[in-house]
Amino acid sequence: MSTFTLQIRVAQTEGSLERILSVTRRRRYELVQMSVNAADDGANFDVELTVRAERPAQSLVRQIEKLEDVTEVAAVDSTPELAGARVS
Amino acid sequence: MKGAQFLVKALEHEGVDVIFGYPGGAIMPVYDALIDSRIRHVLVRHEQAAALAADGYSRASGKVGVCMATSGPGATNLVTGIANAYMDSIPMVAITGQVPTNLMGTDAFQEVDIFGITLPVVKHSFIVNSSKDLARVVHEAFRIARSGRPGPVLIDLPKDIANTVSDFNIHHSNVNETAPAPRPEAVAQAIELLKASKRPVIYAGGGIGLAGALDEFRDFVAATRIPVVATLKGLGVIPAKHELFLGMMGMHGMKAANHAVQDSDLLICVGARFDDRATGRLNAFAPNAKVIHLDVDPAEVGKLRHVDAAVLGDLKQSLKALSLAVSIDDWRRDCITTKESTAWDYNAPGSEIYAPAFLRQLSERAGDNSIVACDVGQHQMWVAQHFRVNRPSQHLSSGGLGTMGYGLPAAIGAQFACPDATVINVSGDGSIMMNLQELATLRRYELPIKVVLIDNHALGMVRQWQELFHDRRYSEVDLSDNPDFTKVAESMGVPAFRVEHRSDVAAAIERLVTEPGPALAHVLIHQEANVWPIVGPGKSNSEMMDEVAS
Repeated sequence: MSTFTLQIRVAQTEGSLERILSVTRRRRYELVQMSVNAADDGANFDVELTVRAERPAQSLVRQIEKLEDVTEVAAVDSTPELAGARVS
Repeated sequence: MKGAQFLVKALEHEGVDVIFGYPGGAIMPVYDALIDSRIRHVLVRHEQAAALAADGYSRASGKVGVCMATSGPGATNLVTGIANAYMDSIPMVAITGQVPTNLMGTDAFQEVDIFGITLPVVKHSFIVNSSKDLARVVHEAFRIARSGRPGPVLIDLPKDIANTVSDFNIHHSNVNETAPAPRPEAVAQAIELLKASKRPVIYAGGGIGLAGALDEFRDFVAATRIPVVATLKGLGVIPAKHELFLGMMGMHGMKAANHAVQDSDLLICVGARFDDRATGRLNAFAPNAKVIHLDVDPAEVGKLRHVDAAVLGDLKQSLKALSLAVSIDDWRRDCITTKESTAWDYNAPGSEIYAPAFLRQLSERAGDNSIVACDVGQHQMWVAQHFRVNRPSQHLSSGGLGTMGYGLPAAIGAQFACPDATVINVSGDGSIMMNLQELATLRRYELPIKVVLIDNHALGMVRQWQELFHDRRYSEVDLSDNPDFTKVAESMGVPAFRVEHRSDVAAAIERLVTEPGPALAHVLIHQEANVWPIVGPGKSNSEMMDEVAS
């Protein structure tokens, strides 16, 4: 089990954030923290997603980058389990 | 022009010639526009069948299948078919009517959030919130459905947008739909593994047919002369009689196929995804093999099995790049010898109809211009094992989702895609009841589909598992109170007859195949007939059970 953070740029289109959350849950990654900010370009969101899972970060990166509205996704750090508390 | 009229025009522009659907309140403007279109609309009797027929149409034709339904229950009835397409990567566009935008979110009559409901089972989806988006959405939907790894795309169209009058123009884009070429370093790495291998096996999946890479795949096999095993969806990538084809792999795979994979030192996975029905216990699958994975979807690489060389991108180019001769004469001979020594014996004892022999005979009589669409269960596995499939588009089977009720609608879709083909639906007495109403569609359109209903008075595959793995504790599998299927079929205008004895099989097949219109053969088999071999749950593919061992 490890905890890692993804940085995602996604278009501000209908359901784009739901799709990211849906893929994350469905692929068995547990949400620890999420922040969303409107990007300066006015057309995208910048999402920072921290998740915990036994599965590797790269698997989730590849699933999220398949989403049509996602333009960038990268895993920025990966730490062993026990880092961070779950968001209530 | 109204939005609905433009939608139909845009569909024509995308090359759509058939839509499978069912009308209703919110989609009525589109049905009105269809009257003036050259697109043929096929009225099914349940929206699930519309989506499954679009799926079958796509598999048989290679084109994007299109289905349509109204809002609310019409839309939710599509969901199983959309999920089926998603799991098997079938390009489809599903169009749903929606309540007007000013009523969305108010729990209006027949309002349902189909966009939200289908999020996990679509490649992408759109709600058309403004008439100015319609042209772009339709074009994008088709592009997304067929590009890369194909899949279903939903367009949810509110009724007021469909009725909006505006100046619409067909949308054009310059997006490149071609999959990228494989990286030269990845190809070089794969070639190194190929040259070093003494016992390679090609593990062929449905991605080959989806990529239109049949010729390149066959050239690859001809160049390397490496033995081939196929997944359920990979059947037909090389002709069934090809000397290097060892059969289907996996839970109900052929012994030669599973043994070759388990003994291999290199697996060349082409357009497949290490599905659990194919691999058996994953950590015991091909335990000594390195893996080359050719695929268009990077997310499949390393998802379940470590990959030593990932050749990502356009399958055609990847296969061409790897087409080289390898020295594996002894291994090849061993594989072929095992295949010959474990060949199926169709001379089963007894006088009852033996389903594998029936299907083999049917396959030989129907010939290469046939398409077989299955439902799900024992008959599906018998078809996979014994029907001679020579191209993937000849075998329509619900692989990922395992949708009972798939076969009859899929056959309808295939018959519209290939009007001159002999289209056969092989079903079971469980599955047929899931979309039985579509017999009426056969009669309505005079579709010459041949339905083979293999009846064991039970949910056969579940019954088999309860027998083998649940100490014969049978739970809710008895179907002996099913209706008389010949009478049901005849009441819907489909000629039907019963086949009860082995001695009647040849004549029955002849009668079925030569019937000018639709026909149903109700074939009775023993209730305890099982599918062999079988790899039990949690077992390795090396541990195949066969009839003697049971």
